[in-house]
Amino acid sequence: MSELVSTPDRELRDNDLDHSELSARLIGLWHTPSGWLGRLATVDHKVVGKRYILTAFAFLALGGILAVLMRLQLSGAERKLLSPDLYNQVFTMHGSTMMFLFAVPVMKAFAVYFVPLMVGTRNIAFPRLNAFSYWIFLFGGCFLWGSFLFNAGPDIGWFAYVPLSSLQFNPSKRADVWAQMITFTEVAALAVAVEIVVTVFKQRAVGMTLDRIPIYVWAMLVTAFLVLFAMPSVMIASTTLILDRLVNTHFYDTASGGNVLLWQHLFWFFGHPEVYIIFIPATGMVSMLVATFARRPVVGYTVIVLSLIATGFLSFGLWVHHMFATGLPQLGASMFTASSMLIAVPSGLQIFCWLATLWDGRPVYRTPLLFVLGFIAIFVLGGLSGVMVASVPIDMQVHDTYFVVAHFHYVLIGGAVFPLIGALYYWFPKITGRMLSERLGRWNFWLAFIGFNIGFFPMHILGLMGMPRRVYTYTPEMGWDHLNLLSSTGGVVFATSFVLLIFNVIHSLRRGELAGDNPWDASTLEWATSSPPPPYNFSRIPVVTHRDPLWADAGNLPVVAGLSVERREVLLSSVADAEPHTRESSPEPSIWPLLTAIATTIFFIGSIFTPWAVVWGTPPIAAALIGWFWPSGTKEDEE
Amino acid sequence: MNAIDAYRNPLYWAGVALGPAAFAVNQQTVYAITAQACNAAVSPAVVLSVLMALVAALGALVSFRAIRRDAAAEWAEAQGGRARNFMAWLGFGSGVIFALVIVDQLAAALMINPCLR
Repeated sequence: MSELVSTPDRELRDNDLDHSELSARLIGLWHTPSGWLGRLATVDHKVVGKRYILTAFAFLALGGILAVLMRLQLSGAERKLLSPDLYNQVFTMHGSTMMFLFAVPVMKAFAVYFVPLMVGTRNIAFPRLNAFSYWIFLFGGCFLWGSFLFNAGPDIGWFAYVPLSSLQFNPSKRADVWAQMITFTEVAALAVAVEIVVTVFKQRAVGMTLDRIPIYVWAMLVTAFLVLFAMPSVMIASTTLILDRLVNTHFYDTASGGNVLLWQHLFWFFGHPEVYIIFIPATGMVSMLVATFARRPVVGYTVIVLSLIATGFLSFGLWVHHMFATGLPQLGASMFTASSMLIAVPSGLQIFCWLATLWDGRPVYRTPLLFVLGFIAIFVLGGLSGVMVASVPIDMQVHDTYFVVAHFHYVLIGGAVFPLIGALYYWFPKITGRMLSERLGRWNFWLAFIGFNIGFFPMHILGLMGMPRRVYTYTPEMGWDHLNLLSSTGGVVFATSFVLLIFNVIHSLRRGELAGDNPWDASTLEWATSSPPPPYNFSRIPVVTHRDPLWADAGNLPVVAGLSVERREVLLSSVADAEPHTRESSPEPSIWPLLTAIATTIFFIGSIFTPWAVVWGTPPIAAALIGWFWPSGTKEDEE
Repeated sequence: MNAIDAYRNPLYWAGVALGPAAFAVNQQTVYAITAQACNAAVSPAVVLSVLMALVAALGALVSFRAIRRDAAAEWAEAQGGRARNFMAWLGFGSGVIFALVIVDQLAAALMINPCLR
């Protein structure tokens, strides 16, 4: 046990106490206060993470219901379940919900919960910002769905192209709702990105050098940087759109010198990295699952990290492939074709590493690994059709057809949702202390895998037959009925798999087998603590001497001693070598993040109705921030 | 950092920086100058792509030279703990990948007339 340097008149430290005394002290320090006010004020990353996960899955359910509605509408020619106007809202709400309210937030949610545990610290960096981020995300999502329920849901596609979204063609508030929902969710995403970067760089356990960071944590670090550089672009886009609509600026008004292609550039400069903001965390999950269930360290750690970083950089060089049909110069477009095709190289490297790990290991085919295998099969198919549409001539042929719908669902569901569900089965025992049912899990997987392929593979053919995206119906003469019916049937089967998942979760929460600390015999630090983890995560901060610490130091993990037990404290370490640097206080619970989020919500929503909201909406935010940072005489402020 | 991991070459991370930077400069510049490159005698896209591929390759080379000779052991066991060697490997790989991407873009610049719309 290594001991931090102490001063003669020091406060009580953890090495002065035995285990039971220490645990009791730490619970007193780190627990979430009781009562509704305490729960609203919590800054525990695990509590916030669970809220994030639950909320994101609730939005998945809502977006999924919309998907089923669309598939029922399209299951035969000239069906009249949805009107054209409602269909426009439904497909826009589906895309916006899945991208902004489910896929990105759920990846952040898992990171908020697990990154601090995996790097061996007691809380995420800037925990009050974390709480603020969740509230802003929740309010933004409720705002979007509340608008939809009042027939003011956006109807402009999840990309909101101008001039369709301009005041001239969309005079109601629907486009404003979309644009401001973007602001909500991006503020939330940026906040979490900052927290993740700082947590990974500065709060890693002693000895967790750069080449000992769990691959999932690497993936989230790369993702956080992607968020930091990609999201401002769409915030600028949505803000300028609102300005055009509300105060008559002319960013996108061609008659006054504006440029509609500027919108597409700004949107897709965010929109393509967005795909990787969803995909890269999923690959991190896959690396963790493959190593655990292959019973060996993942093959090619360095290659996988290299692939993550290269994918992150390359993802910013692909956006124009969404704009091939806009008449850009061919040489310019070819630059993006080249990088779009070559991004398959790092993705392919990762897949070979995972296959090699499975080949050289002793795989145990439990439900999480089944979802990983499903991911590999589906994602490879999605990647292949991606390489196809990276080519300008093919893209021009299938642009805006169901071929593209099939492609991106193969990439996003295969590449992100399958690993995510696998990760849910994997980490559920850590979060709840109980195992999910393995039998229901296998049913869940096969229903999802079969339903997904029946649902989405026919869309490739429909696209090649010329069926365009975003049409609310079609005539019988087109000959698309049978494939659409097949697709809708698969969609319902796929949806059923999620119903089974929900049932499994509810059933297992009550009656699931008790998990124990490390039910999978996994190697990373989140499994070194109890299931579910205590409020303080680790009674003593672990020291890492190996890339797979629980396999190398099974049952005898070295620890650091010397942290205060009189205030919330985390240990800061150096960026590259994770050498201990200093002890730092960690903020206590506060209601101000919630109040700030409420003030910000009023500001955001008000500003789509009147520009004066910027004037009267600012003082409440300023007041809330002053309250947030006001010295309160706590131990945290005494440093 | 332990003593065995001490490094003489401070630019072990060169490939991590130069590879993506060269890629970004190449892609953005060629995309921006395509319209102006139509009437040039020597395609500026080709010249730039060659230069940037060399920059990325240089980054890979610098990082490669910083890899310690006993690094092979890192591939046989998964202990970790040598952050700079790890970054040097990342730099080498990153330089190579981005040099490949730029060469691919160079191939496009050699084949496609900048005047094509």
